[in-house]
Amino acid sequence: MADLPAPKPIDPRGPRFNQAVLTVALLGAFLLDARVVVPVFAVVLFLGAAFGPRYGPFLRLYAEVIKPRLAPPADLEDPRPPRFAAAVGVVFLVAATAAFAAGASAVGWGLALVVAALAGLAAVTGICVGCEIYLLVARRLGVRLVA
Amino acid sequence: MKFVIVVAIVLGLILGRRLYVQHTARLQVPATITRRVPPELLSGAERTWIVFTTPLCASCGPVKDQIELEDPSARIITVDATREPHLADAFEVRSAPTVVLADARGEVQARLVGAPAVRNYLAARPSTA
Repeated sequence: MADLPAPKPIDPRGPRFNQAVLTVALLGAFLLDARVVVPVFAVVLFLGAAFGPRYGPFLRLYAEVIKPRLAPPADLEDPRPPRFAAAVGVVFLVAATAAFAAGASAVGWGLALVVAALAGLAAVTGICVGCEIYLLVARRLGVRLVA
Repeated sequence: MKFVIVVAIVLGLILGRRLYVQHTARLQVPATITRRVPPELLSGAERTWIVFTTPLCASCGPVKDQIELEDPSARIITVDATREPHLADAFEVRSAPTVVLADARGEVQARLVGAPAVRNYLAARPSTA
């Protein structure tokens, strides 16, 4: 794992935009009982986490529409921690979807709201719990971060 | 019930943002700087803002205006870092604007470097107006 080539650093505002959209979407879905939003955002997160920012719809929206209108980022970050955090989000949202399918809607919304709250925290403060978990594991495994 | 849960999450995020900005502003206070503002700069105000400027600083005036607007009950002092090098050194002023916030006892509460840091801090702190 330590010998894998280091990825290119990314603008940290991209994942934060993605997290903000996810928070708003999940909270709105909860209010409107729109359960379909949960698996849809599981797919949205999965695309970005598995294939990179170019394939995440909101990451791409940020990169192509919003970023060109902003000043350059003050700093860059390693893309692996936010991708890992997104993967954790996918697991939660898939579990939430399964709970909905099993008729346990309270459990489903509980899991979805955990994702909404943690994504919101990351969006407004930059404190990304999934990223911290990745960093903890990466330090133990000796993975060198690029930013 | 749903509405209450969503409002609780949103309020939690707003509070989290405020605490985070205040916490990071405290972290920006290097351990090597003077932790107390000299008593002659204090005048009994609950808060004293010291805005370190330089003659060519374009954003220092707007920063001072914004602090005046958002914290009207505080005392605001402008210090030209080029004319007061000892004071500037005491707070490790390396660029302008650098803003130091002290409480009534003169204890440094925050040291903010650059207009965006001041803006974020003012936006996150509870209103005192």
